[in-house]
Amino acid sequence: MNQSSRPFYWMALSLIGVVIAAYILFPIFWLVLASFKTTGELASLPLTFWPQAPTIEAYTALFDETSQSSQLLNWPTLISNSFIVAVSSTILVVFFGTLAGYAFSRLHFPGRDLILGGLLISRMFQGAALLLPTYRLMNSLNLQDSLLGLILLYSAFGLPFATWIIASSLREIPFELEESAMMDGASRLQSMVRIVLPLATPALITAAMWHFVGAWSEFAFASILMESSDNKTVTIGLASFVELFTIEFNRVGAAATLVAMPIMVVFFFGQRYFTRGLLAGAVKG
Amino acid sequence: MGSVALRDIRKSYGAVEVLHGIDLDVADGEFVVLVGPSGCGKSTLLRSLAGLETISGGEISIDGSSIVHLHPKSRDIAMVFQNYALYPHMNVAKNMGFPLQMAKVSKSEIDEKVAKAAEILSLTQMLKRYPKQLSGGQRQRVAMGRAIVRDPKVFLFDEPLSNLDAALRVQMRTEIKGLHQRLGTTIVYVTHDQIEAMTMADKIVVMKDGHVEQIGAPLDLYDRPANRFVAGFIGSPAMNFMPAKVENGQAVLENGAVLAPAPEGLTEGQAFTAGVRPEHLMVADQGASANVTVVEPTGAELQFVVDLAGTPTLVSTRDRLHLRLGDTLHLEVEAGRLHAFDSETGVRLG
Repeated sequence: MNQSSRPFYWMALSLIGVVIAAYILFPIFWLVLASFKTTGELASLPLTFWPQAPTIEAYTALFDETSQSSQLLNWPTLISNSFIVAVSSTILVVFFGTLAGYAFSRLHFPGRDLILGGLLISRMFQGAALLLPTYRLMNSLNLQDSLLGLILLYSAFGLPFATWIIASSLREIPFELEESAMMDGASRLQSMVRIVLPLATPALITAAMWHFVGAWSEFAFASILMESSDNKTVTIGLASFVELFTIEFNRVGAAATLVAMPIMVVFFFGQRYFTRGLLAGAVKG
Repeated sequence: MGSVALRDIRKSYGAVEVLHGIDLDVADGEFVVLVGPSGCGKSTLLRSLAGLETISGGEISIDGSSIVHLHPKSRDIAMVFQNYALYPHMNVAKNMGFPLQMAKVSKSEIDEKVAKAAEILSLTQMLKRYPKQLSGGQRQRVAMGRAIVRDPKVFLFDEPLSNLDAALRVQMRTEIKGLHQRLGTTIVYVTHDQIEAMTMADKIVVMKDGHVEQIGAPLDLYDRPANRFVAGFIGSPAMNFMPAKVENGQAVLENGAVLAPAPEGLTEGQAFTAGVRPEHLMVADQGASANVTVVEPTGAELQFVVDLAGTPTLVSTRDRLHLRLGDTLHLEVEAGRLHAFDSETGVRLG
């Protein structure tokens, strides 16, 4: 490609990107805008795009104990449960994923690469195919309707991919650095903690973000395993809410925005690491 | 500082043995260079000494105590790696202080030792910088500083200059040599560059295919190479080799031309491989005649290739000769500078 055509090429690419982003984001944006509208405005014709009289009434109603929505769904409990499950399983996945990733990247054992590749096979199964066996398994272990059960389940599902991301990243870190640390007086564990892991931060953050987002927004397994209202997570709450408040679309919008908030926060702070972490191993540095 | 003894060191990867029983003594404060072509086992030997490779057999001791079963961190050995192996997330001061931190030395003592090492290596202004903000030479100095602060018994260098450009390599060579002279440290240094070996070493160990070919002082190896491999490896430009035999006490080439008096130890009529260094061939009024085929002036000296009895032979001289391709001239070998090697085994005959 010659120099003169390059700007047009990038402009065309950018335009395509903007169109795709708009196509994907418009419904979400519409939902967020709806959360700031009144029920009357939403019901009126013609439809308005921007809120005519922006209000946070739909948000306050979610937590107003006297409101119907709050009486039917305890949002602080739902959020707290989701937070406990997502954070706990993220910690477990990153901790064990780091240990396993280190083993796959540094130790030599028969079938190492085959097993590492095999870890990804677990992601090829549709979740729906695993619903029934998982339910029976959790039931037999007496872990249904338990936050601990959900934490363990999400950790088990998340661990292979986290291990794969972390192992790919650790392979990029020269082993000479660890050898140097060992010559400098560090044990293997010290060289891993003091030298390797700080350099693998993007991969660890990526694995954590990936898992947190998945655990926070998981619906299918939570919906079949969690029965009591004390143990339900936000995604179950949101689904119930949509059924209960279809007419009051501003409240549905507010609830959906609220549920998406932690994910947006996670991506806001971790975005710069995310691409680097995912690309580890893909290109030579 | 410490003395090192390696006895019958063997290393195998599966069925393949890469070190075949190496014996080596390094005296306290000695600068020993392991040199040889790629794959000769020199780095494996160094890493075995460091404890980064497990040996298959033999004994390694420092100051008379066996270290074979000790973890690298317990051997009291510091190592400078080919790629410097600086910790990218630590600044220069933290990199240099890391070994002391691992040894649980107090912060004030770490600061003091790092400052002292930084001064020796002219790194005082760089202490807050990160490795990526340093040039190749500065990184190399930081790697050396990290080794110095520990004051270990032995320093190991694994091809530390191979990533530097030619000018910097010469400068760092001088700095490492100066450092050794100042600190009096025991150093085992690996390189494939024989000039590095010649200029820096008290003792050179020439290796090939997992065997030691010769151990000796640089000039001993240059003057009396034990075999044809060492003769060809040590010295730059490399030694010329040509088939010859002894006739009337003279070394005679295949075309009958007399090269020089035959070295002592050869018998009349014995065929051998004659070895002569390019700088020991002189243009003379008489002697073996040769045709000039390539002329390469380098400035300080003139190198040219001649056809000597069918063998392309390099000659190096500081005389400013005006040679042209096809010129015929006569060559003599400097007295006592003709080497003789067995044509089959390559072993030195005289």
